[in-house]
Amino acid sequence: MIARTIRLRDFDPLLMLAALGLVTLGAMLIYSGSLTRFGEPDLTDLSHPVSRQALFAAIGLGLAIVFTLFNYRTLGALSAGLYIASLAALVYVLIVGDETYGSRRWIVIGGTQIQPSEIAKLIVIIAIAKYVSDNQETLGELRVFSTSLALAGIPAVLVFLEPDLGSAVIFAAIWLGMVIVAGARWRHIGGLFAVALIAIPFVFLGLVSDYQRDRLELWMEPEADAQGAGLPTLQAEISIGSGGLFGKGLTEGSQTQLDFLRTETTDYIFSVLGEELGFAGALALFGLFLLLLWRALRVAETSADLFGRLFATGFVVFVLVQTFVNVGVNVRLLPVTGIPLPFISQGGSSLITLFVGLGILESILIRHRRLSFRDFYV
Amino acid sequence: MRSELRLANPNQRRRWRARDPEDKPAEVFPRRFFLLKSLMLLLFGLLLLQLARMQLIEHEAYQQRAESNRLRIVPDLPARGLIYDRNGEQLVQNVPIYSAGVVAADVPGDKFLVVIDELSRETGVPAADIATKVAQARNSDDPFTPVIIKAGLDESTLFRLRERQAQLPGVQVLAESVRNYATGALTADVLGYVGRIDQDEYARLHESGYQLNDRLGKTGVELTYEQALRGTAGYRQVEIDAAGQELRTIRSSPPGNAGNLVLSLDLDLQRQVTEYLMTAMAESGSQNAAAAVMDVRTGEMLSMVTLPAYDNNVLTEPVDQEALPSLVNDPAKPLVNRVLAEIYAPGSTFKMVTGTAALQEGVATPSTRITSRGAISVPNQYGGEPAVFRDWSALGTLDFYGGVRMSSDVYFYYLSGGFGDFRGLGAERLARYAREYGLGAPTGIDIPGEAAGLVPDPAWKEEAVGNPWYLGDTYTFGIGQGYLAVTPLQLLGVTTAVANGGDVLVPHVAREIVHEDGTVITRIERQVAHHVAVSDENLAVMREGMRQAAVSPGTAASGASRLVPIAGKTGTAEFGPKRADGKHDTHAWYTGFAPFDNPEISVVVFLQKGTGAGTAGPVAAQILDYYFARQRLAQEALP
Repeated sequence: MIARTIRLRDFDPLLMLAALGLVTLGAMLIYSGSLTRFGEPDLTDLSHPVSRQALFAAIGLGLAIVFTLFNYRTLGALSAGLYIASLAALVYVLIVGDETYGSRRWIVIGGTQIQPSEIAKLIVIIAIAKYVSDNQETLGELRVFSTSLALAGIPAVLVFLEPDLGSAVIFAAIWLGMVIVAGARWRHIGGLFAVALIAIPFVFLGLVSDYQRDRLELWMEPEADAQGAGLPTLQAEISIGSGGLFGKGLTEGSQTQLDFLRTETTDYIFSVLGEELGFAGALALFGLFLLLLWRALRVAETSADLFGRLFATGFVVFVLVQTFVNVGVNVRLLPVTGIPLPFISQGGSSLITLFVGLGILESILIRHRRLSFRDFYV
Repeated sequence: MRSELRLANPNQRRRWRARDPEDKPAEVFPRRFFLLKSLMLLLFGLLLLQLARMQLIEHEAYQQRAESNRLRIVPDLPARGLIYDRNGEQLVQNVPIYSAGVVAADVPGDKFLVVIDELSRETGVPAADIATKVAQARNSDDPFTPVIIKAGLDESTLFRLRERQAQLPGVQVLAESVRNYATGALTADVLGYVGRIDQDEYARLHESGYQLNDRLGKTGVELTYEQALRGTAGYRQVEIDAAGQELRTIRSSPPGNAGNLVLSLDLDLQRQVTEYLMTAMAESGSQNAAAAVMDVRTGEMLSMVTLPAYDNNVLTEPVDQEALPSLVNDPAKPLVNRVLAEIYAPGSTFKMVTGTAALQEGVATPSTRITSRGAISVPNQYGGEPAVFRDWSALGTLDFYGGVRMSSDVYFYYLSGGFGDFRGLGAERLARYAREYGLGAPTGIDIPGEAAGLVPDPAWKEEAVGNPWYLGDTYTFGIGQGYLAVTPLQLLGVTTAVANGGDVLVPHVAREIVHEDGTVITRIERQVAHHVAVSDENLAVMREGMRQAAVSPGTAASGASRLVPIAGKTGTAEFGPKRADGKHDTHAWYTGFAPFDNPEISVVVFLQKGTGAGTAGPVAAQILDYYFARQRLAQEALP
C-alpha cells in the first residue's frame, strides 16, 4: 500500500451540517407529531420522543467522530465478521422479534428497541464494497457478479420475511447502485432484470403474503376501506395536500394534532412536514437531502481507493432510495411500506447507523491524499 | 496503479475521460456517477411533481377533506316538551341517562375487533350485536352519528368507559334524556311512549333531521304531537380528534323551543274511572274492558281507560328487558287500546241510530205503537221452519218512547226491517244513517291506531261474505247485532251527537300546545266531523226516550246518577259461539249523557262479559256521580 497521510483539513463540514440540519428539522417534526400524546418535551425525560431523538443524535455524532478517526480500511478487514453477525441478528429477529403492525422487525435490548435491518444496511454496504473492490478485475465474471448479488440477496430475503418489503428493496437498490458504479456488465444486469420481470407474477402469486397483497391493493384504491386499512394512506394524502404552499404552521396542522395521521413521528413524518410546512418545507427538506447526497457523492469521487469509493456510492444509494421510498409512500407514489425517512424519522437504530456512515465518509475524505513528492518539496 | 494516479488528480481525470475508451474499468466511474446523479435528480423531481400536484394544484380539495375530518355538525335538540293534564298535573318527566355509543367512522379498522371486544366486556352487550350495529352504521349514509350500544349505564361502567376513552377510539359516552311517566299504566294508552328510532322510521324521517340514534314518539300523543314535543333542532359545529372526541365548539345555533302539551284528560277522573272499571271487570269475569268520557260540547276527551293496561315505562329506554317479554306475550293483550282499536257489536245502544233514522225518514213517529209478543217470525222464503226473532221479553204495546225505554227488540225490528204492513227503513237507509253518525270510519282522534269498524249493507255482504242480504240481516242490524261492529269511541261519538243536537265531533285528548311560560302556541279547536242529517226535534225524541230509560223501571236505570238527571242506553251484545245452555256470552254496554237538560259529558262503558244494565250501567253511574259530585263541591267552594 502506498503510504497515506491524514489531513483533518479535508474533513467536510458541509456533509455534517446538512445531516445536522436534517436532524434538527426532524426533531421539530417529531416535536409537533408527538405533542398531542406526549406534550411539551422535557430534555431530561427520555421517554419523550424528542429527548430520545436528541440523545440518539448526540450518540450518533460521537460515533461519527470515532469513525472519522478510525481508518475505514480496517472495516473492510472486519467486514466478513460484521456481515455474519448481522445475518444472525436478522435471523434472530425473525424468530423472537417483537411484532408491531403485523411484522417482526425489532429486538429489545435493555428496554430499547433495536431494528437490526437498519444496521444491516450499512454492514451490507461495507461487505459489498470490500468484496467488489477485492474482485474488481473479475467483476465481469458471472461468479463474482453473482456472489456480490448474494451478499445483498440473503439479507434482502430475511427482511422480506419479516415482512419488510421496503427494506428488501433498499438492499437490492444498494447492491445495484454499487455494482453499476463498480463497472458490472450491463449484460449481467439486463439479464437479471429479465429474470426478475418473468419472476414477478410467480412471486406475486406464491411468495408475497396476503399482508403485502392487501397493501398493494390499498395503494391502488385506499377508498375501498376508507375507515380501515386504507385510512393511514388517505389521511397522509389529505395531510400533505391540505398543507398547500406554506403549510398550516408547525404544531398547527389539524390532521397531525387531532391524531388523524398515524405513525406520525416515523413512517408518516413527511406528512407532518407536508401539512405544517407545506411545499416550501418540502423544498427545504429536499434541498438538505440533495446537499448531503451531493457531498457524499463527492466522497465517492475523491476516494483514494475502490473500497472507499464503493462504500460512499452504497451510502448515497441507501439514503437516496430510502428517502424516495419513504416520501413516495407518503405522497402515494408507492405502495405502503414502513421504512424510516433518513435523519428525520424518530428511531435510534436508523439515526445512529446513518451517523456512523457519515463518520466513515469523513474517514475516507481525510485519508484520500497520498504522500507525494510534491508534498515533500513544497 | 495508473488508474489510481489518474484519479488522484481531478483535473487530469476530467481530461482523460474525454479521450479514453470506455472499456477501461476505471473510466467507467465518471460516467456511472453521472447516472447516479441523474437518478438523484429524477427521483426528487418525481416527488416534487407529485407534491406540486397535491399541494399546489389540488390543494383546495384536500383542504376541504381535512376540514371535514376535523369539523362535525352535531344536532342540538331542545329538551322534549312536557305533558300535563287539564288541571296542570305533570304526567311526564325528562330524566338524564348515560349511554354508550359508537361512532362507526371513528373506529379504526385495525382496532375494530379490539374496541368491540372491550366494549362488550364493559357493557355486557354481546360482541356480535355491537359488531352488527357498528357495521350497519359504517355502511349507512351517516357513519358519524353514534349508534347506541347500551342505554342507561350504571355508574361504575360509566366511569370505567370515561377513563378508558383514549384506548377505545370511536366509543362515546352520551348524555341522553329519556321519559319517565309518573302515572304509568294509568295514562299509558293516551300518552304512548318515546323509543329509539327504527330503520323504517329513520328511512322516512332522516330528511327531516332525524339521526340514527334519535328517539321519537312511538304511539299515543307522544307520536301524534311528536313535532311540537320535539321542537326544532339547533346545531353545534365542533372540532373533533381522530377518536371522535369533541375538543371545542366552533359555532352553534341554539335549538328552538319544544312545546309543552296540555291534555283535556282529567287525571283524577281517569283514576276513578280506572278504579270503577277494574272492580266491575273483576266482578263480571271480563278479560278486558274500556270506558271513556267526552265533553259533548267540544269533543275533548276527559277520560279514556282501557283494561288491562300496561306500564309505558317498560318500553321507555332503558327498556326493562325482564318485563318486556311478558308484556308483549301476555294473552290479555294489554298493549291493545280497546277504546279505539278493537271493534265489537254495539247491541241495543245502536237503537239510538235506528230510532233517529226511523223518525227522520218518517218510518215512525213518537206515537208509533208496536206490540211485542216476545218475538216475530218470518216465513222462510225457501220453505221449512220460519225464522224467529226474539225480544228479551213480551213487552206489550209500546210507543216510540216506550220502545227506547224498554229497549224492545221487536219495536226496532219493525223500524229497521218492517213487518207485515209496517214498512221499515231497510238495510241501505239504516247503513247510511249509521255512517252519518260516524260509524264505519275512524273518528280522527289524536291517538294513532284507530280501527274503522264496520257498517254492513247488502252490497258489502255480497262482496265480503258472498251471500245475499236477507231480511233477518236487517233485523239484527237494527238492534246492533250481526255484522255491525264499532269501537267504544265511535259509540261515544253517536251518544255525543244525540246529546249536542247532531254534531259528530272529532274527539281529541290534547287541548293546547303551550310555551314554557304558558302562552298558547296552538289550541286544538272543536271540530265537527259531520252534522247528522236528523232534525233536533227528532233527536230530542231520542233524548227523551233515553231519559225515560234511565229512570226506573227503564232498562238503563242502573246508569242513572243520583246527582243529575241523565239519558242512557244499555246494550247487551251477543258474541262468540253458543254456550251449552243454548245462549251466547254477551258484551256489556252502557252509554249516556248528562245533565239531561244541558248536556256536558257523554260516557261509554264496555265490559267484555256481562249485561248492559247489570254490569256496565253501575260503572256509568259511578263515573257520573263522581264527576258531578266533584263539580258540585267545586262550585260550593266558590264564595
